[in-house]
Amino acid sequence: MHLLSIIDLVVRFRTHDGTVYAVNGVSLDLDEGEKLGLVGESGCGKSVTNLAVMQLLPKPAGKIEGGQVVFQGQDLLSLDESEMRELRGKEIAMIFQDPMTSLNPVLTIEEQMVETIRAHRRVSKSEARARTLELLNTVGIPQPEARLRNFPHQFSGGMRQRVMIAMALALEPKLLIADEPTTALDVTIQAQVLDLLQRLAAEQGTALILITHDLGVVAGMTKRVNVMYAGFVVESASTPDLFARPRHPYTVGLLHSMPRLDAQPGEPLIPIEGVPPDLRRAPVGCPFAPRCAWRVEKCWTAMPPLDPIDATQEIVTTGPNATHRIACWNPVTPEEAVAARPLRAGFAPAAHPTETVS
Amino acid sequence: MAAQPSPNRDVPGTSNAASGAAPLLQLTDLQMYFPVTSGVLISRHVGDVRAVDGVSLSIQKGETVGLVGESGCGKSTVGRTILRLYRPTGGRIVFQGQDITTAEGSTLRSVRRRMQMIFQDPYASLNPRMTAAGIVSEPLEIHGVGTGRERRQRVRELLATVGLDPDYGDRFPHEFSGGQRQRIGVARALALHPDLIVADEPISALDVSIQAQIINLLERLQGEFGLTYLFIAHDLSVVRHISDRIAVMYLGRLVETATSRELYERPLHPYSVALLSAVPIPDPTIEGRRRRIILTGDVPSPSNPPPGCHFHTRCWLRARLGNPERCVEEQPALREMASGHAVACHFAEEVEGSPEQVLQISGESSGGSVTATAATAATPPAPPAPTQGSLPAGPSAPQRPVPRPRERS
Repeated sequence: MHLLSIIDLVVRFRTHDGTVYAVNGVSLDLDEGEKLGLVGESGCGKSVTNLAVMQLLPKPAGKIEGGQVVFQGQDLLSLDESEMRELRGKEIAMIFQDPMTSLNPVLTIEEQMVETIRAHRRVSKSEARARTLELLNTVGIPQPEARLRNFPHQFSGGMRQRVMIAMALALEPKLLIADEPTTALDVTIQAQVLDLLQRLAAEQGTALILITHDLGVVAGMTKRVNVMYAGFVVESASTPDLFARPRHPYTVGLLHSMPRLDAQPGEPLIPIEGVPPDLRRAPVGCPFAPRCAWRVEKCWTAMPPLDPIDATQEIVTTGPNATHRIACWNPVTPEEAVAARPLRAGFAPAAHPTETVS
Repeated sequence: MAAQPSPNRDVPGTSNAASGAAPLLQLTDLQMYFPVTSGVLISRHVGDVRAVDGVSLSIQKGETVGLVGESGCGKSTVGRTILRLYRPTGGRIVFQGQDITTAEGSTLRSVRRRMQMIFQDPYASLNPRMTAAGIVSEPLEIHGVGTGRERRQRVRELLATVGLDPDYGDRFPHEFSGGQRQRIGVARALALHPDLIVADEPISALDVSIQAQIINLLERLQGEFGLTYLFIAHDLSVVRHISDRIAVMYLGRLVETATSRELYERPLHPYSVALLSAVPIPDPTIEGRRRRIILTGDVPSPSNPPPGCHFHTRCWLRARLGNPERCVEEQPALREMASGHAVACHFAEEVEGSPEQVLQISGESSGGSVTATAATAATPPAPPAPTQGSLPAGPSAPQRPVPRPRERS
């Protein structure tokens, strides 16, 4: 049994502007202690998927309209709010991009952390305080004794993120969801925080879902990656496999559009043309089709399923030997992945069936 | 206040030695202090935030100089001071041979025509009540360029130049995506045919897939119009990609200047080395064997910087050398270690050849990323001709050479 299984999750937002199709049938599994990266651009549904797991979707706009979230054999979507509250923090913890907005500005660090611990554990105040001190020490806050009485605004961004990590790990959760944990931080501070996250997750055996737009962070931190686009998982593979043999045009495009520190000087970037789709339109066909150089006629009308590249393969969803799966009617060949464009003679991207595509 | 003489004055290596021509822009010992006051009715001057504390840098016509550093290091202040949005506390700014350090009024206006800025946040830097055409046309109106009809024509040209449909001119900023807004910002910057463009984090607010579009646009425009860029950013891989030369800043001072190739292959300042080692590389094989230098602590406050070398409180090299007192007592001057490569560290010789310096160059032996499968797949560079016309219909999807030709070790 997996630690977490998300099965065909559908999340929509009802807004004044109409329905936002945020998550359109996402499935993923996660084992205990496993580190999974969720990669994609803003609006791809990576954060919403995880907020749905935590049932922290903004209300009343956000609604889970389909699917299941099974955590340790329990269907989370059938739990009521008090049962869910019991689980949050204790079993599943989450850290966010901006620690300032997730810490309470009018409570000291001590008050917040002691409260968190005592909400879930029957311990005395002084025991909770001792645990708090120990945690601040573990995450490398200098002079933790003095810092306990500080308010969040008295900490720097990196230190605040350390406090968040300390709080998240206070109850030794089985699963830690880190949503862009270092995006707001400078690169040297990012290195500190990622190093800490890696070390603590390994020590406690915590499973980690790392949500990020940065493929570099994913490469260093995770063992498995799901690439998301417009509310779909479009590619799923072990991290080494994904970077060595990307097969989805979007993944290939992402890899070629980032300047890399290890690239040859003067090498041109190959951008993905166009813009991400408007999620207020119900998805028809593959959402990447308008930007895709590999699109075929079918892409305009039918969303491909997330299938193994080799159709006869038995699907392994977790672990280092997870099956490489893509949602694509016309996968990129390894040679094309290097060239970042279709190499087949005479191939032209299919035009939209009804309108002319500019 | 009396500006202290800084050892960074007249530094060799801060100018591009290869060309003998006068630089387009020359900063000499530039200082920009912001006063810190206390008191409600009578404000007393109690100190300074030394945002820029003695920066000497020259930029040649047609080159791109990257200015990198972490938030709060003063890189944006340098850019804004160059455009004379501030009056510098000390030092000199010479632009096209003209000292503009204290220029005012019409002199300053005529200088500003020749330098423009592109801002980070395309949501905040465009007036939401003006149309795209109005925004792009405004600099022309302010400087009284052309008649109304000529200006409208010029705006259409500019929009087309940056890859926008000229007919979109009557739309408002909120009708555009982030990348398109940044294109409007670029068109506005180009309107007056400037010689220098200061781009302050122009892509940081954009999605990954859009960033490359804007980088390529800036590179194309540089070729077309002979532009000179000061490219300010925190992302070293982006800066390395676009820049000819890079200046690394830490707490208001330059700590290293070099060509981008030199800086990457042979960083000589312990801070540059640490900065490079912290940049994640999208390749699990490289990431798996890289050893990062994890700097301890945060960047100190620029209102109370550490004495001597500003970096000594976080320096990995100093710890290794047994914490020499010199780093605390004496501010290191930028000194030239190789042609065009200057570094402000007393012990830069110790960085040279150290395992930390060498480790940064791990990319050449990559075996685990798509970019390295060029060798694995053993495909010859694809002939560009047969695929003509088989590309997406986007405006700028020209044929490109096979990227990242890299040997596999």
